[in-house]
Amino acid sequence: MDMQLKRGLLDVCVLAAIKSEDSYGYKIIKDLKPYIVLSESTLYTILKRLEGAEMLTVRTAEHDGRLRKYYHITAAGHRRIQEFKSEWAEMMSIYQFVTKEDEPHD
Amino acid sequence: MTKQEFLTALREALTGLPPSDVEERADFYAEMIDDRMEEGISEKEAVAAIGSVEEIVLQIVDEYPIAKLVKQRIQPKRRLSAWEIVLLALGSPIWLSLLIALFAILLSLYAVVWSVIVAFWSVFAALFGSGLGTLVGGVYLLCTGDIPAGLVLLAGALVCAGLSIFAFFGCKAATKGAARLTKGIVLAIKKACMRKGEVQ
Repeated sequence: MDMQLKRGLLDVCVLAAIKSEDSYGYKIIKDLKPYIVLSESTLYTILKRLEGAEMLTVRTAEHDGRLRKYYHITAAGHRRIQEFKSEWAEMMSIYQFVTKEDEPHD
Repeated sequence: MTKQEFLTALREALTGLPPSDVEERADFYAEMIDDRMEEGISEKEAVAAIGSVEEIVLQIVDEYPIAKLVKQRIQPKRRLSAWEIVLLALGSPIWLSLLIALFAILLSLYAVVWSVIVAFWSVFAALFGSGLGTLVGGVYLLCTGDIPAGLVLLAGALVCAGLSIFAFFGCKAATKGAARLTKGIVLAIKKACMRKGEVQ
């Protein structure tokens, strides 16, 4: 898949993984596994990028005697998901155009 | 590999990065390994699932902006004592000018590569221009009735056209090669900055 396209898609995927409730690194990877395989280093980069874009916030909480980072989606993050949904509608119509059967010419 | 071995190896491989960055990444991977182990995966498998240190380093080298890496590398890792500062200052006419000279030489070499590319393209432009010129001249001569001369010029135009096609593909390949060289140099600089180096 085109790298730029993939990067944008992965960002939205991660946002979607934390849109209903806060999540942590490994859980995000697990939740996304049926749809898209994400490596730890890729996830790290995405999380840092989303944090920089203020689409998520990070908090540290104690879990089982160790510290764990939880990621929380922001309003900007929700907006990005909405943007993606409308972009997708446009993408679907383009897809239909590209895969249209050739019509017989006169 | 145990979790500690992995984290130590990772920290070592990332020596070129700002220390806070290294710690943040190490914590991230430590958390990942712990989460996997909590699910019952063995330590060895958890570490293996993360990927090798080399893979992680390669990905970072790819994405990390080169300016940040170079800046981090040339910063002194410890505070200089008074006499070290004096010595550096006294010797600066020598080491500073050597450093500038070295940099200038490397830059000129790189510039030479691109000058050659420009020369190639000039040859292409010359051939193309000559082709056009002889074509116009040939047509003009034919029109004025000077058939033999006109034909000669048209033949010349054809030759130029053919040569310029070759020249074009040659130039394109050379330019691609120079671009790839540039990319390779940038990557090499990044890698050199990240390698565990001598004490500054």
